[in-house]
Amino acid sequence: MAPDPDAALMVAFQSGDETAFRALFEKYGRAMMAFCQRFVREPARAEELAQDVFLKLYRSADRYSPSARFSTFLYRIATNHCLNEVRRGEYRLRPDRDPASDGSDPRDPDSLSGSAATPEEEVHGRALERSVRDLLDRLPEKQRAAFVLARFEGLAYEEIAGVLGTTVPAVKSLVHRATVSAAEALAPWVPPTGAEEGA
Amino acid sequence: MTHVREELTALVDGALEPGRRATVEEHLSSCASCRAERDRLAAVVAACNALPAGPAPSPGFEQRFYARLAREKEALRSPLSWLRRGWRWAVLAAGLSAAAAAAVAVLHVRADRMEMAEHLDLLENYVVVASLDSVESAEDVEVVIHLDELRGAKP
Repeated sequence: MAPDPDAALMVAFQSGDETAFRALFEKYGRAMMAFCQRFVREPARAEELAQDVFLKLYRSADRYSPSARFSTFLYRIATNHCLNEVRRGEYRLRPDRDPASDGSDPRDPDSLSGSAATPEEEVHGRALERSVRDLLDRLPEKQRAAFVLARFEGLAYEEIAGVLGTTVPAVKSLVHRATVSAAEALAPWVPPTGAEEGA
Repeated sequence: MTHVREELTALVDGALEPGRRATVEEHLSSCASCRAERDRLAAVVAACNALPAGPAPSPGFEQRFYARLAREKEALRSPLSWLRRGWRWAVLAAGLSAAAAAAVAVLHVRADRMEMAEHLDLLENYVVVASLDSVESAEDVEVVIHLDELRGAKP
């Protein structure tokens, strides 16, 4: 396994170096917010959850072992915390809302599709985003977690297995079933192509 | 012909071992149905990859976090916090005792199916939480203790 610079930061934090913790928050804080947003709809609640994750990280630093990648440890805390939040059930009752339509969603300009996007493309993108959110709400929780980690966080199957505390074959099955569900749910927005498989 | 549909997402994700990948690709060369499914999955994976990143945190996100952290650290230094933590662990002990008592009860009331079902419900809750490794702090302990309340809040 390649050296994990974040693990070194976490070990430094375990030794009392608070600047190491700040470096980890700076690196992962925004990513955690995006991750939590895949489990709850309101950006403000996603922010709170992301902060909760880092408070848990702060409190549980002594439980970290550098034999595990730091990101695996962090996503494990985050996944459990978000799934606990989802289990409260209140999110299923809330009507869908397009956060980009009411000015309460300060999206990063870098993350937008760019000024070259036509109005039709923007409408299409928002509809796709809504369909993805609806899909995530419907997926069983382990499929949802595996799908988010694979599709949006870019984790390898081995790391997802570490996050979810399961095996790589189980992750393969979870990601596959969720992706098949996504193919059905997103079919109106995603016509099949003749694209070759990725690397 | 044995189809390979269950492995197509892993193929698209580049997560198959080389030997298995060769086998799956050989099958695809002669199976239009699996090729079509591969293309369907590849398209949805590409669409997800192309989605914009989530919303950026609102201004002051970092400052608010460090303010929360400072409050937490201050609270931990307070003598009252030790009393509170002691109370929480007492609640945990009580909860675990209740779970253990329920387990014993379940083992001894096999003939009474209604009562067993009640206890199994409690135990199932506890096992679900424990298996998810979510008991990481005193706050989480409270979640365990009040799990039935949370379940009751579901629609």
